[in-house]
Order: sequence, then structure tokens, then C-alpha cells
Amino acid sequence: MKCRFKFRNIAASICLMTLSGMVYADDAAANLALPTAASFYSRNFQTFKSRSFNPPAFNSTTYLLAANESEIVEGPVGATSANIETVTPAAQFKPPLLSGRKIHQYLGLGTVMLAGLTVLAAPEEACEQNCPPPSQQPPRQTSGTTHTRLARATAVMAVATVMTGLVFHWNDIHWEDPFTDPDKLHARLATTGALLMLYAVNKSAHSTEPTSHAGIAELGAVTMVVAIKLTW
Amino acid sequence: MQRKWKVVALLAAALSLVSAYAGAEEDFVGWLLNFQRQKNVKPVSDKQYQDECGECHFAYQPGLLPAKSWEALLNADALRKHFGVDAELDNDTLKVIHDYAVDNAADKSWHKRSRKIAVATEEGPAPLRITELRYISRKHHDIPEKMIKGNKGVKSLSFCDKCHTQAADGVYDMDTVAIPNYPGWDD
Repeated sequence: MKCRFKFRNIAASICLMTLSGMVYADDAAANLALPTAASFYSRNFQTFKSRSFNPPAFNSTTYLLAANESEIVEGPVGATSANIETVTPAAQFKPPLLSGRKIHQYLGLGTVMLAGLTVLAAPEEACEQNCPPPSQQPPRQTSGTTHTRLARATAVMAVATVMTGLVFHWNDIHWEDPFTDPDKLHARLATTGALLMLYAVNKSAHSTEPTSHAGIAELGAVTMVVAIKLTW
Repeated sequence: MQRKWKVVALLAAALSLVSAYAGAEEDFVGWLLNFQRQKNVKPVSDKQYQDECGECHFAYQPGLLPAKSWEALLNADALRKHFGVDAELDNDTLKVIHDYAVDNAADKSWHKRSRKIAVATEEGPAPLRITELRYISRKHHDIPEKMIKGNKGVKSLSFCDKCHTQAADGVYDMDTVAIPNYPGWDD
């Protein structure tokens, strides 16, 4: 039983990783001419190594910044506001209904929703007072109930959320950003929340006696809600 | 059973609080209990700011720069040499625009992108160009030069709304980007 449970979880994780990888590879394959993630990191590192924050002028060709835009922004000498080119409105464009970033968003919201349903589906305590010893109590159900199914689905979805976040928002998190950067906080809290939920599910699934796991799982869910709120 | 009702009651209480704060001013409690998306930048809501700035260029949302930057940009002396252009305004108009920009600057906003800009510019001198912000420059780092400077439909990073189709609403999501002459491009 334990082996089956482990195998099922591992298989589900592999499927999710493959799915995330395929989506990312599909995106990358459509833009063969564009730099890869590796080139971004190497150039970024070289650039930031010798760069202070927000310097007055940039001279690197890897940046398309004000320093090489001055002739466009400032206009010719003697120009006035009246003869500078007016910006025309952007072309009509419909955002895609589904994208990697939106999948991440939906997975995150789905995780929180499933966590809420898992709490609501929690079984009633069989005995609160004058309980018989654990050996005389009926065997604990660690699978097959609505609660356990929802809990496992929540844990898997939480892992999928974290993974899709890493894939589709990898360029939103940088070492040089301060600790309070919203994206950094979001990533840290969401990962912590997912790990707490995984721990709670794992702890409960491998215990034959009633075990305290609800608090940890609920803390994980709340942590995830805070993470979502920070970047909502 | 009692536990379930407690959860339902908590959810109901949270929802009623959220609806009460839905239209609240932008403060911490308002932000905390507001489920409306605040991921981007607060759109321009002042008509005078929109009209005066938008007359010459895209009316950049105040949340794209910290207050210290707007202080440095929106004063009579600075506007006489506003990036090489004389953009002088009468005192009353200048005061309205200055106050609006400073009151809604990145470091006073709860919108996510503004917060990112604010924490990244807390230290150091006031950035005077949005395109100089580390956050903005990094976001555009991977776009080949030919798609911006060499693109007749764009010409410069300064023209946000050329590619960010919902820039006027303060939305700068990747999913809303459409680079002129490069259809189907995705980072």
C-alpha cells in the first residue's frame, strides 16, 4: 500500500515536471532566435558584477536604456513639446486566454480552493471523551476518503504551482533584489506553504494512529494565501 | 460539525470585510482586504495630469517612479529642461501635477510593480528616467535591439504603449505585450 502510494506520487510528480517542461520547451522552440535562459544568466552576471544600482548612465550594449535612447527621447536641439512625435495608441490586441503565467495563477488559486475543501471534508473526531485506547479503536483511514483524496490533490497541485512558478517567473527573482521584494517574498512563502502541506499529508498518510497534522496543513494553506496576496 | 461551521463563518466574515473594503483608499488594510487585482501599476486617475503629460508623451503612471524622482522632475527649473525640451507649466497646474505624482508615487502605492520599484530604489540617487530603473531594464533585457530601437513601430523603450497594449490602464503583464512588426513574439 505504502509502495503504491509512493509510486503514485512519484508518477504524478514526473508527469507534472514533464508537462511543465513541455510547455516551456514549446515556448522556447517558437523563439529560436531569442537568447536562452543560460545566456541571460551569464550576461546578467557579467553585467551586474561591475554595475552599481541605477547608475546615471549605461554604456552596455546588453541594455536598451536611456543612454542610447537620448537622441530619440530628447529630440533635436531646440525642439519643443509641440513638435515631438506624439505616441499613437497601441494596436488592438487580445491577451491569450491561456499562458504559462496564467496556468501558474490558476494552479495557485486551485491549491487554495482545494485546501479549503480538504478542511471542510475533514472527518469528525470519532471520540472526544472517555476514549478507548488506540489499540481498541477502529483502524484509521489514510486513503479512500474524500478528505484524503482532496489532501493529496492539494499537495500535488501545490507542487505543480511551485514548479510552474519557477519555470514561468524565473526572471522575476534576482539575488540582488532586496529581501522585501514582493516576488521574492511570494516565492519563499509559496514554497514554504507547499512544503508544509506536503509534510502534513505525508505525516498523516503514514500514521496508523490519530496524528496531529491539521495545524501544519492549515498553516501551509494560509502561507500560500499570503504569498498569493503579495503579488495579486 | 462545529468545526465546519466555524470555517464557513470565518469565510463569510472575511467576504463581508472584503466587500466593505473593496472601494477603500489605498492603505494597508484596504490592500489587505481587497481581492481586486493590484498586480500592476495604479492607472492615472487625474484628468489634468493625463492631459498635461499626455499632450507630449505617454502619461506615465506616478507609480513607475518613487516620490523623490517626481520631486526632482516636477519643479519649475527641471521642467524648463525636461529631457531637452521646455515643458514649463503655470504654477497652479504644476502644483496639481506635482502633488498627484508624489501622492501616487511608487513608494506610496500598494500595487505590486510599484512596490518592486520602490524597494529597488530606496537607496541611491533618484532615478530620473523610468527606463533607467534596474527592474525595468532587466525586464527588457532579452528583447533584441532591432525590436525596439530598430523597429519603426516602437523606436524607444520610452514609448511604453507601443508594445504594452494595456499600458494606459497600468497593466504591464507579459501576456498583454504585442511588439509592432513582430507578431507572435513571446519572451
